[in-house]
Amino acid sequence: MSSAELSKTNWADDVEDQEFPSVEVITNADGTKTVIENRLNEDGKRVRVTRKIQEKIVQEHVNRAVAERKKWAKFGELRSDGTMKANGGVATTIGEVVELRLSQYAAQMKQQEIDAAEQEKAAAVKSSKILCRVCRGEHFTAKCPYKDTMTSAEDILGGGPVTAAAASADDSKGGPNAYVPPHMRAGAKSFGAGGGRAGSLGAGDARGDRRDEHPTIRITNLSEDTLEADVNQLCRPFGPLARVFVATDRSTGYCKGFAFVSYYDHDSAEKAIGKLNGHGFDNLILSADWANGGK
Amino acid sequence: MRPLLLQGHERPLTQIKYNRDGDLLMTVSKDKVANLWYSHNGEHIGCYIGHLGALWTIDCNKTSTLVITGAADNTARLWHAETGRMLHTWDLPTAVKRVEFSHDDQYVLMVTEERMGHKSGIYVFAIDISRPEQSNEPVVILRASGAKPTVAAWSFLDKFIVSGHEDGTLSLYDWRNEEVVQTAKAHEGIITDMQMWKDGTYFITSSRDMTARLFETATLEAMKEYKTDAPLNTATMTPTQDLVILGGGQAASEVTTTSSRQGKFESRFFHKIFEDEVGRSRGHFGPINTLAVQPDGKGFASGGEDGLVRVHHFDPEYFKFKYDY
Repeated sequence: MSSAELSKTNWADDVEDQEFPSVEVITNADGTKTVIENRLNEDGKRVRVTRKIQEKIVQEHVNRAVAERKKWAKFGELRSDGTMKANGGVATTIGEVVELRLSQYAAQMKQQEIDAAEQEKAAAVKSSKILCRVCRGEHFTAKCPYKDTMTSAEDILGGGPVTAAAASADDSKGGPNAYVPPHMRAGAKSFGAGGGRAGSLGAGDARGDRRDEHPTIRITNLSEDTLEADVNQLCRPFGPLARVFVATDRSTGYCKGFAFVSYYDHDSAEKAIGKLNGHGFDNLILSADWANGGK
Repeated sequence: MRPLLLQGHERPLTQIKYNRDGDLLMTVSKDKVANLWYSHNGEHIGCYIGHLGALWTIDCNKTSTLVITGAADNTARLWHAETGRMLHTWDLPTAVKRVEFSHDDQYVLMVTEERMGHKSGIYVFAIDISRPEQSNEPVVILRASGAKPTVAAWSFLDKFIVSGHEDGTLSLYDWRNEEVVQTAKAHEGIITDMQMWKDGTYFITSSRDMTARLFETATLEAMKEYKTDAPLNTATMTPTQDLVILGGGQAASEVTTTSSRQGKFESRFFHKIFEDEVGRSRGHFGPINTLAVQPDGKGFASGGEDGLVRVHHFDPEYFKFKYDY
């Protein structure tokens, strides 16, 4: 840096005045070189690139004859562009990567690979629906062991197509494998018949149904910051709580403004509705009611 | 490995060969043209044009100044390697299936085909490097008593010539005295290729009987056997690692009846001493007709029925491979 440049007060002027684009090469004491380059980058912005370079001369010894042969001129019937006339062109391309993994177990691995491929093939054949027309087994008709002794499936099943049709009709009525919707299953009978939901459900039913066992109230107009602990604290005085659920936004984790609270007994719940409906909580007026429409 | 694909031939490759320093690669195919390439980058240097029939074989001398080719037009030709100029033509009674310079470059052997009433033979010509014109008078002609020879090679110190025959036998000739020293049954099928170790003391043969074998030259004693599941067209040995590379596959006429996966068109690597298969390298779409290893052991090239030459340079892992015993 010259003294003239240092005397300037405005750093911006300093940059403006520099020759642009410029490359400055400084040879360092340790033999390395520092290259400072000022240029425009792809975005059109001025950048300064400082690189430290160490030069290393690598000497390679090659066979003199080989080196001489590298200078050989092209010969044969070549066109000016280097392609050969005789064979309609010579091309040298780089092929795709070829794996050569040497291993003394290569042969075994190869065999395993082949076995695995064969197994896969066999599995694929098995999974597809193959039904023998002769014996109804899981193989091709041509490979059936009974194909010479029996003419068709009727012989072995002891009946004509009628039997088959009857069998499929049975299936539709609800054989062991037929699909039955949940409400038609044997265990679901009381569910449909019983009037009072809470009383009729057995202990073995799904967890979702058990929520209805306890009298539940719905509290709305809760603030965003409400936590389950807050609701717990709010409702605990009226009786023992079976369950507290505060609806939260899945992405933000904040309260969505309502909560469900289940009590063990009906009186506590009623008391809670009476007290909490219109109660001020966190600067908001709460409203509370039965969760399932006034029951 | 990322192979170089050399596309300079339109017909199946018949032989490829590196020169002694390994910097040049010579390729011949059935399309009448011999090509010369740099092996390190696959750059095409030139082509030797003049033959009128399919080329079967090529060789160059130790100093890479002269190239000899043998072809189905019943000639063998001598070329100036650097310029592609034809120096001499030997007219032989039948097609020339194999040529090879002797270790001292003084002689060249030529194996001729049995055809049109002519018996096959191994012709030995003297080479005079001081002038382009060569003698058309063979030094000796070796005639096989049994089946025709398909391949031949010079032994250690050029003392003997070993030939491989159509019926799978090997013959060891004291060529100067024109007598057979030893014969041995090597294979069940035709011997397709024979490549000497660099000092000529042992060699590898490949055969359509799906095996390749290693023989000691002086006694024709079988030392090793490499069994595969496909007919073999070629076999070679790697100088730095104790490996052999075998190439082959279904016969060209049967290729269309099999899928390429079943065709077994891979270069197979076997351990030279333990005879175990240690790896495979894929790539060709047809049978591999010829294989050659770079003399420094850093790469190999394969030529296939598909007309392509693939030049491979081994990955560093190749050199780290050690057989555990």
